[in-house]
Amino acid sequence: MDNLKIEGTQSTPSIVADFTAGTVEMRGDSYPENSFELFSPAMQWIEQYLQQGRPLTLNLHLLYLNTSSVKAMMDIFDILEDAHKAGQTVVVNWFYDEQNERVADLAEEFKEDCSFPFEIISQVE
Amino acid sequence: MNVRDEKHLELIIETLLADPENEGNPLRYALSELYAEYRSLLHQIDRITRISDRYQTVSRDEKEALTGRYNKQLRQLEKIARISDRYQSMMRDLNEALKDASTKDALTGIGNRRMLMESLKAETGRAERLERPLTIVLIDVDRFKSVNDAYGHEAGDKVLVRIANAIRNGVRDYDLCGRWGGEEFMVIMPEVTATEGAAVVERMREAIAGIEMMADGAPLQISASFGIAQRRPGERTSDTINRADAALFDAKRNGRNRYEIAG
Repeated sequence: MDNLKIEGTQSTPSIVADFTAGTVEMRGDSYPENSFELFSPAMQWIEQYLQQGRPLTLNLHLLYLNTSSVKAMMDIFDILEDAHKAGQTVVVNWFYDEQNERVADLAEEFKEDCSFPFEIISQVE
Repeated sequence: MNVRDEKHLELIIETLLADPENEGNPLRYALSELYAEYRSLLHQIDRITRISDRYQTVSRDEKEALTGRYNKQLRQLEKIARISDRYQSMMRDLNEALKDASTKDALTGIGNRRMLMESLKAETGRAERLERPLTIVLIDVDRFKSVNDAYGHEAGDKVLVRIANAIRNGVRDYDLCGRWGGEEFMVIMPEVTATEGAAVVERMREAIAGIEMMADGAPLQISASFGIAQRRPGERTSDTINRADAALFDAKRNGRNRYEIAG
């Protein structure tokens, strides 16, 4: 299975999926014109990866998300939730700059419906 | 007819049909045919009922699944709206902070040069349009370099903060003040002539001269000089500033800790 690497721009996060490491990393702001186009490859990659029964860690360094990106993230967490209920190991680490506590509050909102391990981690950037 | 009566009747008919005594009875053939027809109808009704029940079950299940999906999507939508609202308010606050940072002087908290330039432009335009007076005051801390040299930049910064506070407390509600650069400050006074402005400036000068500060155990002598210029009709902002600057230079030359009004 190929790795995935989408370069970030000012309005879109970078997305890097590493098969060997079993990680997906998203970093930056996200207010794309077409969030479906942006997140679809990542969702497909995650779904295909999880079909192989391997553990997955999703590392997020996201700052601003527009509404459709919020929806996309919730869809991704739904995929992880299904995998978790099916007995697979999935972990989300949401990193935030300790200068910006409000990102942590927002991560808490996302975490609310997730039963898999979901860490919200302060970081000095 | 209830089920028990039905079963009872069926039993009677079946017994009659099976009884060899009824062989040859002309009614036996008719009854036998009628009974077969009855059984077949009964069987059909049974089947129709079963099929109909199954349809109902499927339809009920579908409805439940749809309701479930609808409720889930509704919850998701509410959550998206909630999170999105919070992101938006975060952005709004960040915007405010950025605006603050871009117009305020980081050290003293009063306006910075950018804010002063923008205000000067707006106030000059207003004064010209409405033919109202506008006065600009340039302030320079006296012998500031010697404070920095003798006691270090930290002491110098403290002096600037105290002076900025004195200026902020001294201006009227409609006046704007800011740090013009280094140890220079500016006050923009709309609707005020140079003479009227001088009264405000004099109080400000006294307040600054009255600042009590210690450095290395010794009291610091703090004062500032002021150049006041009232805008002339049609005058460019930079020219008004230059005249205020010249008046400030005069105040310095005339002994510091004083103001001069530009001619």
